[in-house]
Amino acid sequence: MGLIDVLPWRREKKVVSAAADDLFDDEFQRKLEYLSLVSRRVFAGRLRAERRTKKSGSGVEFADHRAYQPGDDFRYLDWNVYQRFGRLLVRLYEEEEDLAIYVVLDTSASMGFAGGAKLRYAKKVAAALAYVGLANLDRVSVVTTSDRVTDRMPETRGKARIFKVFRFLREVEAEGTTDLGDALKTFVAQAQRKGRGLVVLVSDLYDPSGFEKGINVLRYNKFDPFVVHVVDPGDAKPRLHGDVLVYDCETGDEREVTVTAKVLDRFADEYARYLSDVERFCATHQVPYVAASLEVPFDELILRVFRRGGFLR
Amino acid sequence: MILAGLPLAQLAAIFGAVGFGVMVLYVLKLRRRVVAVPFSPLWERILRDKEATTLFSRLKRLLSLILQLALLALLVLALGDPRAAETFIKGRTVVVLVDASASMQATDVAPSRLAVARDEVKKIVRGLGGADRMLIAQMDAMVTPLGPISGDVSALERELDAVRATDARADFPRALRFATDVLRGVDRGEIVVVSDGALGPASDAYGPVRLGSAKLTYVRVGKEAKNVGVTQFSVRRYPLDKSHYEVMLELTNTGPGVEDIELQLLGDGALVDLTRLRLQPGERLPRFYPQLSGASRTLEAKIARVDGTHDQLPADDRAYALLPARRRARVLVVTEGDTYLEAALLLDEYLDVTDVAPKAYPQAIARGDWDAVIFDRVTPSELPKAHALYLDPRGPGAPVKVEGELKNPGFDKVDRKHPAVRFLGLETVNIASGHKLAPEAGDKVLGASDGGSSPILVAGVRGGYKFVALGFDVTGSDFPLRVAWPLFVLDCINWFTDEDAEYLSSFRTGDVWRIPVGTGAAQATMRRPDGSTVPLPVHEGRAVMLGVDAGFYQLMVGDQTTSFAANLLDAGESAIAPQDRLVVDGREAGELGGFHVGVRREIWIYLLLAAALLTAIEWATYHRRVTV
Repeated sequence: MGLIDVLPWRREKKVVSAAADDLFDDEFQRKLEYLSLVSRRVFAGRLRAERRTKKSGSGVEFADHRAYQPGDDFRYLDWNVYQRFGRLLVRLYEEEEDLAIYVVLDTSASMGFAGGAKLRYAKKVAAALAYVGLANLDRVSVVTTSDRVTDRMPETRGKARIFKVFRFLREVEAEGTTDLGDALKTFVAQAQRKGRGLVVLVSDLYDPSGFEKGINVLRYNKFDPFVVHVVDPGDAKPRLHGDVLVYDCETGDEREVTVTAKVLDRFADEYARYLSDVERFCATHQVPYVAASLEVPFDELILRVFRRGGFLR
Repeated sequence: MILAGLPLAQLAAIFGAVGFGVMVLYVLKLRRRVVAVPFSPLWERILRDKEATTLFSRLKRLLSLILQLALLALLVLALGDPRAAETFIKGRTVVVLVDASASMQATDVAPSRLAVARDEVKKIVRGLGGADRMLIAQMDAMVTPLGPISGDVSALERELDAVRATDARADFPRALRFATDVLRGVDRGEIVVVSDGALGPASDAYGPVRLGSAKLTYVRVGKEAKNVGVTQFSVRRYPLDKSHYEVMLELTNTGPGVEDIELQLLGDGALVDLTRLRLQPGERLPRFYPQLSGASRTLEAKIARVDGTHDQLPADDRAYALLPARRRARVLVVTEGDTYLEAALLLDEYLDVTDVAPKAYPQAIARGDWDAVIFDRVTPSELPKAHALYLDPRGPGAPVKVEGELKNPGFDKVDRKHPAVRFLGLETVNIASGHKLAPEAGDKVLGASDGGSSPILVAGVRGGYKFVALGFDVTGSDFPLRVAWPLFVLDCINWFTDEDAEYLSSFRTGDVWRIPVGTGAAQATMRRPDGSTVPLPVHEGRAVMLGVDAGFYQLMVGDQTTSFAANLLDAGESAIAPQDRLVVDGREAGELGGFHVGVRREIWIYLLLAAALLTAIEWATYHRRVTV
């Protein structure tokens, strides 16, 4: 570090390196194996690769009705319903196919804030979910985003490919601004299987343009979004006092604030409200949601993900 | 309202300069600490809410500025020392005379009258008005102002600590004259006398003291009067037997009750006599101790109650005296033989007498170191370098010119004050014949015949040595047959050697002491009873000092040391009964008034208090987040 770096007005956006050498050590891998076993025991009896899509197709299991549109196949009209209610409805069936798991990791600068604890935690969660998916013979792909798709690990299958995931995650660094909407639009466009697959979004959701946009992009493109919200409790209680000039670590936006105990209390309330907004949005739109606090060990979090459902079927 | 401190223009300049600085500090934006946050929109939401109260925030900021300017205004105004014009003009000038005489050491009020007097004066000082000025002076044998005229309470209180009691009486007239001099030309002058009232009349050699327009106030200190003191103490050697001495002392009971007293007489610290006495109220009891002998140099008289306790004034329970130094005087007698003279000299065993014939005189005088030389009917060719007694001198070597012969002269006139002839009955001496002596300027005629026109006995100084010349042959008179003869010879020798009856066994405190210094030094060093030393000027052969402490002193000049004692010995000071009234210049002193502790008419104090209050309010509101 040069002298100029310690000057108070020198405010370069910090890039947190991966520092992942110790992230995926033997201990971590043992925990992954444990999680894999747990997932099998919980979901025993299910067929491998039996992940099903809501896409109506040639499957045998009834899924839903929808209004008839001109051009629909007459064979799928539900005549019984027509007889009873006088409305033309088309019967939809779930089509069975093996689907992909996309782990979308937010690598914006805010994930690297305060020493990069959130990014390290997110990497562990991503690796764990990828391992469980690989162990279940799903096709797993890892994508990193900020305001765009910054990197992508192609779909792969099989437990042995976990080391490829490790290598990919080790190279990930936190930088750039967050725009999940644009980034996930790009992701959707580049996806090999349009509208098919589970997208696990691991992010702090600090999106100036609104966290909803990114999730909605996935929903509108018929992916199954699963939100793992990385939460640093320290963000709710910033260690500030007096007259300060706060600036956004991603956008650089500045604002003068006189921080008092009252202001800090109001900030904590606002932060709690933000978290509840995210949770409420996901609940409203039936998007599985797990708040991943840094205070919770990552393996416990993974189990919460399993219990929450939506990841393993 | 007027400003007693800085003028208005100066205050305005200070307020303008500092106020401008305060304004600049408020106008300038505070340099803020730069801190990164992970997601600023959260802060934006809070600040949006805060902006709704921007007007209130600005108001608070404005209020803070006004508060700072108000604080500044208060402080600047305090610098101006504003006062009500009325109080400023009518300020008093007070001269406080604190009695520090011996009687103020009395312990009838705890811890002592002087300490109580100090407390009383402190109360007066604290009750000074804003425009009042005060001068504190210690009053004992002299008047000592303890500081300048001031209205500064703390400075006046510090000055009071310098007051200390002395063993002297108070010179009240002098103190009053000092106070009236200070108050001359002052509108509201006031003299406050803090004393037990034992001050004597307010008049001196210049007449009664006139107070003029000054108001006189008397603050009485003390309540009882139980005291027995040594009011006289003297010692002397017998003229014809200087190995013995006698002591005279006087005790006075100034109290209202009968006192049983134990009197101790100590010689060089050893007990010489112990007596128990009973003194009636107001009784003065003289005591004589004749025919005391011993080698003692110092004498001390101590009294105490029989029960071992001290009375209420310990200062007069002791008295000190010093016996004159006794040494053997070497006397050279130049004579062909004179039985009468030899007989006279035999009376004093402290004389080493050497008789020589006139022819052997030159060799004898050359050996030197004679205290006195007696020329019996012979006259040397030149004056000896020693004190000399000439009996019937003749010729050019005589210290005085010898003129015509007198038939049947007599001592028609005698100088009774001179130590050589004091107490001698010379008027009846019969003389067959003699010679008229012609004294020079400065000589003293001790005895003269023919109604005083023909000197026959002359004393003086020649070449630094004293002489006495007797203008007739004693063998041609009945003088040797009289008692006066040996006394005359011995008195002359004593005068030569300074061992005369004028010796003072002690000085009195409160007087100016003039202690003889043998040498011609211009300065001497005095060691006080407490061991401290002080340089003294020497004027006309005497060291001069105003003594105020009793005890033994040592005067050092070169390698010579002279000791002497000093005593209070003042019945007036021993009478410690506090006086209820004090009358000066026909006016009775009034009671103290107009001094109320806590009442200050100095507005600047209240301005400072207001500034402190404002600061406290700001501090409290800041920490309670009212103004943040």
